[in-house]
Amino acid sequence: APIIIKFSHVVANDTPKGQAANYFKKLAEERTKGRVKVEVYPNSQLFKDKEEMEALQMGSVQMLAPSLAKFAPLGLKEFEVFDLPFIFDDYSELHKVTQGPVGAKLLKKLETKGLIGLAYWDNGFKVMSANKPLKNVTDMRGLKMRIQSSKVLDSQMRSVGAIPQVLAFSEVYQALQTGVVDGTENPPSNLYTQKMHEVQKYVTMSNHGYLGYAVLVNKKFWMGLPADIRAALESSMKDATVFANSVAKKDNDEAMAGVKKSGKSQIITLTPAERAAWKKAMDKTHKENMGRIGADIVKEVYAATGYKP
Amino acid sequence: MSASTATQGLMTPKKAAIWVVAIILSLFAIASFGNAGIVFALLIGLMLTGMPISISLGLTVLTFLFFMSQVPVETVAMKLFTGIEKFEIMAIPFFILAGNFLTHGGVAKRMINFATAMVGHWHGGLGLAGVMACALFAAVSGSSPATVVAIGSILLPAMVKAGFPKNFGAGVISTSGSLGILIPPSIVMVIYAVATNSSVGALFMAGIIPGLMLATLLGSVAWYRARKFNYPRMPKATMKERLKAFKESIWGLLLIVIVLGGIYSGMFTPTEAAAMSAVYAFFVAVFVYKDMTFKGIPKVLLDSANMSAMLLYIITNAVLFSYLMTSEQIPQIMADWMIAHNFGVIAFLAVTNVLLLLAGNVMEPSSIILILAPILFPVAMKLGIDPIHFGILITVNMEVGMCHPPVGLNLYVASGITKMGITELTVAVLPWLIAMVGFMLLVTYVPEISLWLPRLMGYL
Amino acid sequence: MMKYLDRLEEIIITFLIGAATLVIFAAVVHRYLSGLPIPGLQDWLLGINMAWAQELCIYMFVWMAKFGAAYGVRTGIHVGVDVLINKLPPKWRKTSVLLGLLSGVLFTAIIGTLGARFVWENGMHYAVYNKFGLLIPEDLYEGPITPDLEWPTWAVYLAIPLGSFLMCFRFLQVAWTFGRTGELPHHDHSHVDGLDDEVMDATEALEEYEAHKFDQQTDNGGVK
Ligand code: NA
Ligand code: NA
Repeated sequence: APIIIKFSHVVANDTPKGQAANYFKKLAEERTKGRVKVEVYPNSQLFKDKEEMEALQMGSVQMLAPSLAKFAPLGLKEFEVFDLPFIFDDYSELHKVTQGPVGAKLLKKLETKGLIGLAYWDNGFKVMSANKPLKNVTDMRGLKMRIQSSKVLDSQMRSVGAIPQVLAFSEVYQALQTGVVDGTENPPSNLYTQKMHEVQKYVTMSNHGYLGYAVLVNKKFWMGLPADIRAALESSMKDATVFANSVAKKDNDEAMAGVKKSGKSQIITLTPAERAAWKKAMDKTHKENMGRIGADIVKEVYAATGYKP
Repeated sequence: MSASTATQGLMTPKKAAIWVVAIILSLFAIASFGNAGIVFALLIGLMLTGMPISISLGLTVLTFLFFMSQVPVETVAMKLFTGIEKFEIMAIPFFILAGNFLTHGGVAKRMINFATAMVGHWHGGLGLAGVMACALFAAVSGSSPATVVAIGSILLPAMVKAGFPKNFGAGVISTSGSLGILIPPSIVMVIYAVATNSSVGALFMAGIIPGLMLATLLGSVAWYRARKFNYPRMPKATMKERLKAFKESIWGLLLIVIVLGGIYSGMFTPTEAAAMSAVYAFFVAVFVYKDMTFKGIPKVLLDSANMSAMLLYIITNAVLFSYLMTSEQIPQIMADWMIAHNFGVIAFLAVTNVLLLLAGNVMEPSSIILILAPILFPVAMKLGIDPIHFGILITVNMEVGMCHPPVGLNLYVASGITKMGITELTVAVLPWLIAMVGFMLLVTYVPEISLWLPRLMGYL
Repeated sequence: MMKYLDRLEEIIITFLIGAATLVIFAAVVHRYLSGLPIPGLQDWLLGINMAWAQELCIYMFVWMAKFGAAYGVRTGIHVGVDVLINKLPPKWRKTSVLLGLLSGVLFTAIIGTLGARFVWENGMHYAVYNKFGLLIPEDLYEGPITPDLEWPTWAVYLAIPLGSFLMCFRFLQVAWTFGRTGELPHHDHSHVDGLDDEVMDATEALEEYEAHKFDQQTDNGGVK
């Protein structure tokens, strides 16, 4: 019987992560000549956001690609460095970290939790949206902003006087439409596929924060695999990662074009000076969370990307 | 362990033995259809012993995982916690709590008064008022049996006294009470939303038009029968009396504004609206109508917790069950099978209705939805059926199920109030039940009834 | 002794449902007031972090659900499919009911044990060893924490073993009573306290109804 890898994730098949998971499945099954069977479970069918990590540790599932914001509850607050606003200015800065020594060092820490990190997959840089134009930082004051559960994102919103509100992803569209929350932050592909631009008048191209995933496997399971199979899976993962990042980039670009074409919300681009003002205001978040995340790791990322508020 | 204790018509040991053997044989036959068959045979077999549905679900999963799969069983323990670790689910205890404060707090009787002042002078009199009062109470309560209790326990004795035959009153109220889950808020819709990841807000919105239509339909049947048999009518209330009745019931009616208005104006998420309605109902019961004393509060809290815990326990075990099915890829296999056999939308919806009606013979709505939705929903999606429409048709189907024996919660409740037997009640509800089945078919095959309003309001 | 356990069970679940309601009420009020541009007040409110409210509410309700499920065994609220067994000859029925109750014992005992093992492995083991300065084995990890409150998840998950074992005990209790007396706790869905007087005194209520109908003037509202 083939070795079965249950790969569970919480998004749809047609999202960048979903596509990449299916692409990995295809490569892995080809390259191991059917000795490995990858079963992909999308849409939280098998495990939800909140339970997948424990399920992986228990071995109920073999592979996951959780969002990097999910690592703090595991006891690895270092990963919150990725949530810090404006820490990466663009993809090249980001990849210096995720594909460099700092990223590898972070993944290594997962082993203390019985997990192994195989790769980082991009989702993209986030844009801010609301029903009023967000041009200056002061525009954020008093706005109820939806975030995903994360201490750093909470503190990022507070740093500019907004009221963060944690809401399940499935409730966001409705909450925006009715006004339970005034705005939110998302990579363009999420914004567009969830049709949030239809219920938000303005989208600011702030690119203020990064959203990404790490592909994880259960350590015991991984180490128990025959070496040749592991090698085949590693090479499949490598190619799947290239695929994942390019799909994510393409999807985000297409999504922004889609938003623009729909004419349902107005796109605001920030001048370098305006963006710098946002960056400066949100630098407070870095200071507040430095102790939490660990000054060492933050400084290492700063060194890799040349961060200056 | 349920309310039905029909002791008449017991089987002789010989007949019972034949039944038991026949059931066991058919379960073995079902089990021969691979893993899916084993799962269902196990579940049905355990359920037929009369043990709580939640326990049968849990034991099925445990047995299967333990003997037939390599999934670590600890997952089960974790799922029992994480299965309900979701803020949307918390609307259920909140709505139950709100409903209990309303039932104890004198809101129902003021609504009845108002309804009687409005329509009591027409044919059907108090019966028609009963339909309207049920519809009004349904707009503040999330449960059908609770609606029957709240309206029925006050109105049914009044109807008998006013000269209506008992079965007319019982028929009207048992069926109208089922509006409780169709007119928002609705606990059954929350459960469907949880089981299928749909939007609670959109479902609530979609229930409004069908709810009003069904209320009108049930009222018409009452009106027609009352006119035919010349049942008594009330004296026509004057404008002043109506205004007074309206004013007295305004505190209860305001809750409609808080829940629905709150959700659709963006004040609250559905769960928050449920919590706010509990606080508001408490306030009205204790400080405005003063029908409840401070001493009564702990009891209401305890009863609500008891009912909520029971539902949440079924939900957790149903989550386990749906995990097992996903893990064994059963819904997918069934979906593929149906599509390979060219099941169209019409046939699929017919099968859905029959299946749900059959389940309605033995289970109450939350369990039915929790067990069947994860199986039927993926197929419905593949066939391109709208998830919200699917939810509404299931809700209407559940309403029918609550009004017919052997298991029909509304009937039990009505039987408790009127002291009528279940068989007698079954005959009593028949005219309305037939109308409801017709309405169910309409809702099933005309999606626009459910989807028009949410679409108009931009929810879809 | 048993009376205290019963009482404690009731107090816990009563408190949890009441408190969870107040928590969400406070969080909603807070959110609304902090959105209002009132100088001073807004700054003060923005300084208060209520982000934990949802998580706390969820945990309170899950604990309520687990202990409430045990209470529910005692009150007979857990519904089953009894169409078939109610038609069986009395002796058969009794066996079947007993079988159902013992299945409840079995299931909750297994879940309680699995739950205890899960809680132990999910961080309690580490926490206990750490607390008492014991040597921590190589492959033992510190357990996860909850996202908002940052409580150890093993402590939160304790609801599973505790609730399940209590429920197991309740099933045993009910089975024992049933075995001896043939009596089951029975939840009556049509029974509503506080409406009792209205249902019981239907005649009286009706007389009042007739008398007042629309023109009654008490400050107590309409039909009594
Ligand atoms: Na309702
Ligand atoms: Na039924």
